[in-house]
Amino acid sequence: MGFEKFLFYCFAAITVVAAGMVVTRRNPVHAVLYLVLAFVSSAVLWLLIEAEFLGIVLVLVYVGAVMVLFLFVVMMLDVDLAALRAGFVRFLPIGGLVAAAMAVQIFLVVGPANFGLEAFPKPPAAPAEYSNTEALGLALYTEHLYPFEIAAVILLVAIVAAIRLTLRRRPDTKYIDPSAQVQVKKGPDRVRLVKMPAEGKVETP
Amino acid sequence: MLDNYLPVLIFILIGILVGVGPLVLGYFLGPRRPDREKDSPYECGFEAFESARMKFDVRYYLVAILFIIFDLEIAFLFPWAVALEGLGMVGFVAMTLFLGILVVGFIYEWRKGALEWE
Repeated sequence: MGFEKFLFYCFAAITVVAAGMVVTRRNPVHAVLYLVLAFVSSAVLWLLIEAEFLGIVLVLVYVGAVMVLFLFVVMMLDVDLAALRAGFVRFLPIGGLVAAAMAVQIFLVVGPANFGLEAFPKPPAAPAEYSNTEALGLALYTEHLYPFEIAAVILLVAIVAAIRLTLRRRPDTKYIDPSAQVQVKKGPDRVRLVKMPAEGKVETP
Repeated sequence: MLDNYLPVLIFILIGILVGVGPLVLGYFLGPRRPDREKDSPYECGFEAFESARMKFDVRYYLVAILFIIFDLEIAFLFPWAVALEGLGMVGFVAMTLFLGILVVGFIYEWRKGALEWE
């Protein structure tokens, strides 16, 4: 038990430090990379409470896909750091006020009664051949079948929305359609002969 | 169950060691004589044109978000594949419906030409 606790404190410290770096780094690309580190170490924390499928999905979906999207967004935004920092002191009081209000609200909703070791007793350790993923699958595709199909519809909406919002044709690109290129036939498709009347004799002065 | 993951932990530690070790060794053992020219950004021999912060085409974003959506679809497939024996026909039909709905989206993006890179 001692070694597991040691691992937990190691990876929890890495997560907290990385999360702190995310909000303090000036360079947004560095912040995204620290966020990747925070995600990976939280995946290890999930492994430690035997939620192995969630840990793997966190790495697969968040580190693998969402972070790529974040990097694109960070690069696309054309972040002007000087302009961002310009109003810092001016907006500090109201920002602090909003942050304090949100902290109080969170405290009222999830107070200390919801936390602590009494609220979350450690579940008994699962035997070595117990498959977390299988238990999840058995619950997800039977009990929670309807939300699962709704998830498919939400993903469909996301596909359509992303395409509608961002897809645009650019007529100015000199793009050649390869399939049309391959289907060119011998004869009229390749060469077009244009009949032109011959020019008359040019008088040389 | 956690005992099964001990080899993974050892792999992570060795991986960090192999990755960080040479950097640390190079930091301590290698000669470092920086000067102004060495520290300046290098761009094929001429002065850097502009800041690296420039606007990207929004199409990269489209590719990334389509990738995320199908990545999530794959994430739903894993527990289904593991638990299929216990699920029986109901689970199979449920996943067929799920994939059917997403195939509608796939056909849409194909027909719209979102997968083309012109």
